[in-house]
Amino acid sequence: MASVNSDEWRAICDKFTNAQNLTDVESRNDPENDPYRSKYKARELLREIYCSLKSFDAGEGEEESGGESGEQPPTEQPVDGQREDGFGQGFSGDSPAGMRAAKLGAVEYYLGVNHVDTEELSAGQEHLMNCMKLLERCRVSSENVSLFIHVKNQLGILWAGRDETEMAQGFLETAESMYQRYMKEDGSPPTDMTEYFTSEENLLTHQERTKRFELAYTHTMYYLAQVYKNLGQTERAATYCHSTLQRQLQLNQFSPMEWALNAATLSQYYITKGRYMEGRHCLSAATVISGLAGEVPSEAAAQESETESERREHLRQKRAEIARCWIKYCLNLLQDSKKLLEDNIGELDTDRQDELKRARRREEEEEEKGRKSALLFGSEDTFDSIASLEEKVLCLFPLDFTEARSVFLVGQNYVTQAKEYFQMDGYVTDHIEILQDHSSLFRALAFFEEDLERRCKMHKRRVDMLEPICNDLNSQYYLLIRRQLMFELAETYNEMMDLKLTLANRQADTQSLDNHTIKKFNNLCSASAKYFQMFLDSLCSPEGKFPEVLEEEVLRPALVARFRVARLHSRLISSVPPIQLENLNRSLENYKYVVQYCEAHPEAAGAAETELELSKEMVGLLPLKINRLKARMAANN
Amino acid sequence: MVEDMKGKIRVFCRIRPVNRTEAAQGGAIVVDKIDEFSVTIETPRGQREFQFDKVFSAEASQEDLFHDTNRLIQSAIDGYNVCIFAYGQTGSGKTFTMVGDKEQKNPGIMPRSFNAIFEIIRENSAKFEFKVSAYMLELYNDRLQDLFVSQAGEAHAQTQSHGQARRVEIKRNRKGVVFAQGAETKEASSAQELYALFQQACANRHISATKMNVESSRSHLIVGIRVESKNLTNGSVSTGKLSLVDLAGSERAAKTGAKDHQLKEANSINKSLSALGDVISALSAELPHVPYRNSKLTQVMQDSLGGNAKTLMIVNISPSEFNLDETLTSLIYATRVKAITNNAQRNVESKEIAQLKEVIMKLRSGQSVEDEDV
Repeated sequence: MASVNSDEWRAICDKFTNAQNLTDVESRNDPENDPYRSKYKARELLREIYCSLKSFDAGEGEEESGGESGEQPPTEQPVDGQREDGFGQGFSGDSPAGMRAAKLGAVEYYLGVNHVDTEELSAGQEHLMNCMKLLERCRVSSENVSLFIHVKNQLGILWAGRDETEMAQGFLETAESMYQRYMKEDGSPPTDMTEYFTSEENLLTHQERTKRFELAYTHTMYYLAQVYKNLGQTERAATYCHSTLQRQLQLNQFSPMEWALNAATLSQYYITKGRYMEGRHCLSAATVISGLAGEVPSEAAAQESETESERREHLRQKRAEIARCWIKYCLNLLQDSKKLLEDNIGELDTDRQDELKRARRREEEEEEKGRKSALLFGSEDTFDSIASLEEKVLCLFPLDFTEARSVFLVGQNYVTQAKEYFQMDGYVTDHIEILQDHSSLFRALAFFEEDLERRCKMHKRRVDMLEPICNDLNSQYYLLIRRQLMFELAETYNEMMDLKLTLANRQADTQSLDNHTIKKFNNLCSASAKYFQMFLDSLCSPEGKFPEVLEEEVLRPALVARFRVARLHSRLISSVPPIQLENLNRSLENYKYVVQYCEAHPEAAGAAETELELSKEMVGLLPLKINRLKARMAANN
Repeated sequence: MVEDMKGKIRVFCRIRPVNRTEAAQGGAIVVDKIDEFSVTIETPRGQREFQFDKVFSAEASQEDLFHDTNRLIQSAIDGYNVCIFAYGQTGSGKTFTMVGDKEQKNPGIMPRSFNAIFEIIRENSAKFEFKVSAYMLELYNDRLQDLFVSQAGEAHAQTQSHGQARRVEIKRNRKGVVFAQGAETKEASSAQELYALFQQACANRHISATKMNVESSRSHLIVGIRVESKNLTNGSVSTGKLSLVDLAGSERAAKTGAKDHQLKEANSINKSLSALGDVISALSAELPHVPYRNSKLTQVMQDSLGGNAKTLMIVNISPSEFNLDETLTSLIYATRVKAITNNAQRNVESKEIAQLKEVIMKLRSGQSVEDEDV
């Protein structure tokens, strides 16, 4: 700076500081009818700085051409963000030419961002590209790498805004590789953009420089996550989301609750891909980090202060949301395991079970390796807490009752937690969804339970949980939820009915069942039919008329419900012929409905193929049975 | 199977006429209604087609649109919870659809609903006694605010100390009673009264927005009208509710990345990566659970949908190429909003089916199958 007047330099630095202040602070107070007032002012200042710098250039230009390394600046190359270079040719970053380029580049950068902020995209792009061009004449060094990455990030955003996702991708990917190479080959804390126009005493610490540089790269990850999502490369996008989250933690640049929710949401993505280890890791981290957000204010404190009340609400709600994500984890793990283990009628296939158990021993070793290669979350403080939380629940498919039960209990625990916040009155739909998940947890566990009596009890728990709700809800408001509940109750009662029968048949050696069992069986059978019928009735108009045409979203359930009602009626046990007759007639009536509806609406046939096929058979066969019964009744009279 | 019977939202699409500015600029028309249910849009990447429950072209009148929504009003009175959402960028005709023109020569859905409610009440006054009340809220900055309260004083207080206003929450209980906790509910005995309340609320909304220096595109209007009907013959009481929601600023409503091509940025070095959550939650359409982030709007909308069979969303779009981006955004969002009803085909035969097949085999072969059909 020998040839530059220190006063002049100071003036430039002051202008720069002013411009920053206008842009970041003053602009917030700009009035609605002149929202860019401060930014326009900042722009003027930046332009003046640019002119001043250029005029210094003109003064000393001749002496400096060629630079220290004796190289010529490279000829104009098309600047399209695709070149990986920057490390090879050009001025040395810390040469006077390099420094000049960086300073001018910085001004161009700020002008670029300024124009983008004030919705002048083309001008913004021009400035940003100018910045790029200036920097590309230099080798990448600690003096310019931070600026380089920032400008590529900005160009990425800009092109993405124009729906030119591939262009955006180009800039961002080169930013990414530039960072990686720099860290590998150099790694020293690079000059931050704000430092080009600062006095010596105001330079940043190494720590601060590193922090800002790393943050810039975190942004690169963040933008790439979005770009990959837009390109439909979901897996890659997920990886970059994961990396972004990971970096946030490592660099301590995060807000606990927000981070936790993001991690919990990411776990849900992993669940859809069956990647339970990653899912578990995300959830464990979410739980641990959400704890960092602090204690929940007590009710008393909340009463006194609006802020405390909001904070209490906020914390409780978010933590309950994380609990719900855990519930889904446990539930999906159990359900996926069931799918692996079930035979073609939905019972546990012991051969497959053995097979998977054998395969498992191999898998456990893989898990260890997998952990190392997977992206782990955390910092020194949190690694252990996260790991210990993970140890509490499986991430491999549970293969027997003991394992399934352990997963179930974890899920149940989170159900309790979630319900504490999502109470019925106030959060009806959320509360019910949690109950439905709880019911599904029982259902999945029942699959693993070998003892039929206990299995039946699990289904009874489901009924006890859902039946009161179903009857309590306003039938018009909650129509759809009630329909779901009715269907689930009907199927659950059906399960219980079958179990009772199987149990009874095992106990009794003789063919016939005792009256007590018959009564129980019939009750369960009727209850099941009742709920299927209730579902069908819910389709009726206010006047009680069943619809002529079934709407698409209820078509299959309606046909299935009819089919099941038919089946259930034919299974009712009675020794009284007139009652037997009535049951059979009801049964036939419902089978007929299915057949006739599908005849009248051929497009519906695909919705319940098997049920239709069987209904046709029964429509053919039942009348014979009915006639035999009638004949017997006549004969006995 | 019934897990997949989710709520169904009907979506109407309304194309507004070319306005004067667009006509003067001579831009092309890129939107076309090709039939009652389909609309196409010409994008630089080719033509895209969208399907809706109904499409209204520029020629459609306010009458036409209301005609299709009228039945919903009756349902509200019958005791259902009915929601009508209007969606679209400012200038797409959303306000015209929901409110109408200033002089009310072409009233929109809200004033027509008010009239319709009282019409129906009049027709049934012999058999029923009715009580109509309403709350009107504004949602911005993720806060619900009571529009029956004059905002002038409140707003000033709020700029001084961060948000010390009374908190308003919309809550529902199992009986389906929706209440706006913390907000005033006012009664109305005529359509005119109801409309006057509405105007008062709108006036308050405008003031509040300027004082808080908030872009109007970020504020949503929520009108809740409760109709309680008492059957004079048997004394039974039923309550229905009509919610009319004006979703202004679709880029706020559709935080799930509806502006597909645009990246959510974090320009200032200190800004948090606020959209990361949106990106993550959009990774899959089938996430088992999506935690609410701070989106009160999502909560309000979700709450109105849960268990509800009668929801309508009207998406308003401009026909001009100048608004292509916004139009495409709106259409994509609207398509996402329509619930997916997946009936996952089970490839495991249920026990029932297996058993019945056995029974049929026996019946066919002439074996007698006794009452215990096992």
